[in-house]
Amino acid sequence: MAMAALRREGRRFAPMISPRPITALRSSPLAPSLEDECPIGVRYISTQVVRNRMKSVKNIQKITKAMKMVAASKLRAIQTKAENSRGLWQPFTALLGDLPSANVKKNVVVTISSDKGLCGGINSTSVKISKGFHKLNSGPEKETKYVILGEKAKAQLVRDSKKDIELIITELQKNPLNYTQVSVLADEILKNVEYDALRIVFNKFHSVVSFVPTVSTVLSPEIVEREAESGGKLGDLDSYEVEGGETKGEILQNLAEFQFSCVMFNAVLENACSEQGARMSAMDSSSRNAGDMLDRLTLTYNRTRQASITTELIEIISGASALEG
Amino acid sequence: MTLNLSVLTPNRIVWDSEVKEIILSTNSGKISVLPNHAPIATAVDIGILRIRLNDQWLTIALIGGFARIGNNEITILINDTEKGSDIDPQEAQQALEIAEANLRKAEGKRQKIEAKLALRRARTRVEAINAIS
Repeated sequence: MAMAALRREGRRFAPMISPRPITALRSSPLAPSLEDECPIGVRYISTQVVRNRMKSVKNIQKITKAMKMVAASKLRAIQTKAENSRGLWQPFTALLGDLPSANVKKNVVVTISSDKGLCGGINSTSVKISKGFHKLNSGPEKETKYVILGEKAKAQLVRDSKKDIELIITELQKNPLNYTQVSVLADEILKNVEYDALRIVFNKFHSVVSFVPTVSTVLSPEIVEREAESGGKLGDLDSYEVEGGETKGEILQNLAEFQFSCVMFNAVLENACSEQGARMSAMDSSSRNAGDMLDRLTLTYNRTRQASITTELIEIISGASALEG
Repeated sequence: MTLNLSVLTPNRIVWDSEVKEIILSTNSGKISVLPNHAPIATAVDIGILRIRLNDQWLTIALIGGFARIGNNEITILINDTEKGSDIDPQEAQQALEIAEANLRKAEGKRQKIEAKLALRRARTRVEAINAIS
């Protein structure tokens, strides 16, 4: 009877003798680290090790859940501001047009990114588009320079395009965003960089799950004149009689500067919204992953616990049966 | 025939509805806009915007921007604005006095220019309150 029980135990226990294949099948990320942590010669993984692992995964889950809620509340705050600022640049587009295809000699790409990480892939997409633009527009006559807002884009672009960077601005979101701050920034950019066309690359916030990388173009007044003469969308500009200043050129200059600061304001707000939204979804999938991992670890824990009980039983029974003879 | 007026600032939409007539102050003086005005694009100076709806005049203080007047559509884009009814009369009067004092004290070109701008702002706000009646 005892021998039959032993044989049964043995059969049940046989898979456990080689822990490696099982754990490799069920949970490969678990296998290498757990193998490292248990001493050689032990036939199963100690419960203490699994319990430590479970504790740390649970902590991670709590942290990511909290980060998600923080991002959600920040998003709500900025979203109203972004929607209010959207109405502002539409008249500009209606009047001056948004011509991404304008062929100009000096392009300046303003890349807007976030300062903090853990926000999904939005910064990489912005940088990818900026680099693509650079490639498209670099040639014998044309050149492209970068103006970078935000740490993440700076880290990525400094590596390979260091000579093309004109201006780097970081820590934009230390104080809540407002128009005066951004207009001062726009002023700095306009003063220090010569440009024919400014391309602002940012992530437009369509909804909590969709952020579309967009490019807004702001043309310098001379180019606007040139395009207006060639007709097309900007041809309507001439039908407006321009008043209120010495010359038409001066008004157009002021208008272009105003347009740039408004478009920048909108772009910065939208990018901030996209950052919070992306962070929400990244943290959400993180906590879900942590939950899955916790489930698998719980199963492993129970298995090892039962295995250790079985081992003890076997030892006792085999000891007793040995005594009996 | 009515005009569609929209007054926008970077932070919010101040006004968006139909009006009968507006009086706008530009760099080259005050202009009055009636329906079927010729299309113009102009810079808006620091001053008050008066809106008439059905024989009732409303005032909004504008602090610089641009205006585009197309076929019965007026779009005014401003850096900053205050509705006449939102301004506190005493506070505006005090601000005006402080601005005047600052202008007298100002030295150096830059300070003078800043003081003048502040004075015009304060004056505009006071005008906005007085003009409501």
